[in-house]
Amino acid sequence: MSTASPNARLVSLTVNGRPVARLAAPRTHLADFLREGELLTGAHLGCEQGVCGACTLLLDGEPVRGCLAYAVACEGRAVTTIEGLDQDEIAARLREAFTAEHALQCGFCTPGMLISARDVVERLPDADDARVRVEMSGNLCRCTGYVGIVKAIRRVLEDRKAR
Amino acid sequence: MSLQGAAYKTQAAGGRIVFGVGARVRRKEDDRLLRGRGRFVADIALVGMRELAFVRSPVAHARILSFDIPEQVRGQVFTWQDLEQAGVRPIRAASGLPGFKVSEQPPLAADKVRFVGEPIAVTVADTRAEAEDLASQVVAEFDELPPNVDMLAAAAPGAPRVHEHWSDNIFLETRVGQSFEKDVAAAPVTVSRSIRTQRQCIVPLEGKGLVAHWDRQAEQLVLYTATQMPHIVRSGLSECLGLPLEAIRVIAPDVGGGFGWKGLLQPEEVIAAWLCVHLDCPLRWMEDRREHLVAAANAREHHYEITAYADADGRLLGIDADAWVDAGAYSIYPFSACLEAAQVGSILPGPYDFPHYRCRTFSVCTNKPPIVPFRGVARANVCFAMEQIIDAIARAVGREAWEVRLLNLVPPEKMPFDNITGKHFDSGDYPESLRRAVAGIDLASVRRRQLQGEPDGRLVGVGFATYCEQGAHGTAVYHGWGIPMVPGYEQVQARITADGGLELRAGIQSHGQGMETSFAQVAHEVLGIPLERIRLVHGDTGLTPYSTGTWGSRSMVMTGGAVATACRRLADRLRRIAAHLLQARLDDVTLSGGKLRSGQADITIAEIARTWYLAPQLLPADVDPGGLEVTAGYKPKSDHGTFSYATHAAVVAVDAEVGLVEILDYLVVEDAGTMVNPAIVEGQIFGGVAQGIGTALYECSPYDDAGQPLASTLMDYLLPGFTEVPAIRIEHMETPSPYTEFGVKGLGEGGVIAPSAVLCNAINDALKARGAIVTDQPITPARILAALHNAGAEPPP
Ligand code: FES
Ligand code: FES
Repeated sequence: MSTASPNARLVSLTVNGRPVARLAAPRTHLADFLREGELLTGAHLGCEQGVCGACTLLLDGEPVRGCLAYAVACEGRAVTTIEGLDQDEIAARLREAFTAEHALQCGFCTPGMLISARDVVERLPDADDARVRVEMSGNLCRCTGYVGIVKAIRRVLEDRKAR
Repeated sequence: MSLQGAAYKTQAAGGRIVFGVGARVRRKEDDRLLRGRGRFVADIALVGMRELAFVRSPVAHARILSFDIPEQVRGQVFTWQDLEQAGVRPIRAASGLPGFKVSEQPPLAADKVRFVGEPIAVTVADTRAEAEDLASQVVAEFDELPPNVDMLAAAAPGAPRVHEHWSDNIFLETRVGQSFEKDVAAAPVTVSRSIRTQRQCIVPLEGKGLVAHWDRQAEQLVLYTATQMPHIVRSGLSECLGLPLEAIRVIAPDVGGGFGWKGLLQPEEVIAAWLCVHLDCPLRWMEDRREHLVAAANAREHHYEITAYADADGRLLGIDADAWVDAGAYSIYPFSACLEAAQVGSILPGPYDFPHYRCRTFSVCTNKPPIVPFRGVARANVCFAMEQIIDAIARAVGREAWEVRLLNLVPPEKMPFDNITGKHFDSGDYPESLRRAVAGIDLASVRRRQLQGEPDGRLVGVGFATYCEQGAHGTAVYHGWGIPMVPGYEQVQARITADGGLELRAGIQSHGQGMETSFAQVAHEVLGIPLERIRLVHGDTGLTPYSTGTWGSRSMVMTGGAVATACRRLADRLRRIAAHLLQARLDDVTLSGGKLRSGQADITIAEIARTWYLAPQLLPADVDPGGLEVTAGYKPKSDHGTFSYATHAAVVAVDAEVGLVEILDYLVVEDAGTMVNPAIVEGQIFGGVAQGIGTALYECSPYDDAGQPLASTLMDYLLPGFTEVPAIRIEHMETPSPYTEFGVKGLGEGGVIAPSAVLCNAINDALKARGAIVTDQPITPARILAALHNAGAEPPP
């Protein structure tokens, strides 16, 4: 809703495989651009200080902080939000494992957790508990104490190895 | 999104698939949250909605001399004058306890500011960014006054007064117990400790937030707000705005954690509610993280001076304590400024049995944000203090600390037990939890390891703490406080739909506790309706019976009890209709697995429901006209509520060079009575322990001498993350409460109570070899190094 800004610029990018072109003020961050403009509210804002990871999105397949990326800096790039991972194989396995291991309570951190966890599963098939914890340390959860999240990610890693 | 019944399956011991009380079923709420399709308050957008930003006080204590508001934005900026002229009243949360001094908090500061971050003006614009631009143009001129930053100084005579018409800065002083010097004067062992705990912010990952609008058709103020207690917020709004209750509807959507921070009426809620009517447009405000860390209600800043008396074996003879709680500038609605300190007086004795007790408490008013009961409220601090005392006695008598604990815990044969402050412990085997923790943490091997020393030179230590936790406080407990909220019967509406589903309506709010699942399990246990056909409606004053909300480990006991009661009543009505339809005697009709049976004949709940709603000509003439919908109220048999308990144990390694602590092992042996869903119970414990680790080692909201908060980002306010929280282990005991449905006990707060005590005791066990001791939290590297330095064992850092 930053369109009112006199110095708004047209930003064209791909969101969950769909082309999007929308005006954005230079100061509008990517998470606000998606949440307010595209009504993709899965990326949550826990701090807007780059610490909590609740806003984590995929930008050209890499996890980024949606609160630290400016929308105008994402011209021409491909954004994937949690809503775009419904059919994703790893995300589906993670969702199953998260619910089986009770890895979410209020669910506010969960979209960011899943996106970071998906990246860990993709990159590090052999990660053990300690490695999973280090790799996930950019995401905060205030509810679960992380125990279920670590178990869920390990479960997906083990399942994929077993196949 | 349809959920498969299979998703809930769980195996009972005999291989039978069960879904009811005791089953580790998967949560009904997970699917939407895992797909990013929950609806949190920030996700709500209304047509024409505008955004609010607040101008907040940059100083801790000052008179407001004037505002300078640029003329061209005057219509978008509002101050207390605007609200007051419109008849908005200050927030007032008085306690009926004798001597309580009442503070009035105008939602926007009136003539004086009393803490940094206090809202002094509000701005309205199309976007939050623009509203913040406006806020930056508003200038206030202040006449600064000396701030009260330290609670002990603020409590001293002659301190500048936060509320000038008061005689001092003490909201309330309480006294528990009598003078007992002569009884314990000859005690062979006396230990004393000064103990300080830090101010904390609660930091649910989702901050507060709201959307307010006037519903023209319903002629109602509708406030969507991230709250744990929608009905209480409604009552508070009614008082401040002068609107009748039926003209207000408060809705809590998905809420991203609360832990107490969402258990109050916020000034911002009052302001937005008034302004959306005044401007006739929907308004949104989302608390940002800086606002939370600077301006939100805080918690847990206590100071204790404790002396304990014991015999030569370590048996406690008496506790004499003074406690101060920094309650901040205002009394919050509904819990008031004195709940925390007065609670200290009543729960300091913990799970122990001893004959003499005296405690004075002071709720001190300072130039800091008000306090709100954080998960566990005073219990985490009290446990931190009391469990240090137990360890101190053990040192004095030369025994293992767990042995001294064991000597003093209330034994199972004394249950139910009325303790020295009149708390009625319902059931359990406290010593057994301790014995299991000692075995489970393998104390003997830790002691061997300490003798050998670590290859890396770190110091290893082990610590224990035992506590009990009152949950589901009853009417008498809260009536005694005289605060604007006394819990009574908790009500639930249960309605069987025409197609055999079940709707439950409850006035609590679930924000991570999984109540959409656990209450469905309770209902399933009674009625046998499949979980996927049971739906909980909660958090909406327009749709649910009155409730004081989700706080104090009460929902499973209170609302769960009401769900069971309501469902039993429905079962009775179903049986009566079934008897008629099956042409059977009422006494012969039984309900199991969602079917009513008599001999070989049976009929499903769905068929009976269809009959009630769509084929009433088939009903018996004397059918209960209440139909398949009931409202039932519930209270446990004891007004004292339930007492869950646990022993936590930890092994730590302390690096004496740099002061860092690593948690090598963490074990919880807990008993929360009958578990409705063990996975949810464990989740509450894991999450509580993680928060307790934050309290013990990391989290702190410090203030400088001018009353400026020094932690305003999550870079300064450190939350425990993946690498700080270990793989916590849990062992369950399950002693049912004699007073509740299914024997459940409240446990939501439990996990957070013991960690700071356990880790402090473990760290002190590690430091013992160097003659050093820490007594204050958070136990930061700087504190550990200072302790080592003071013990003369280490060069100064
Ligand atoms: S909201 Fe982006 S890191 Fe917290
Ligand atoms: S589940 Fe609530 S913050 Fe992670």
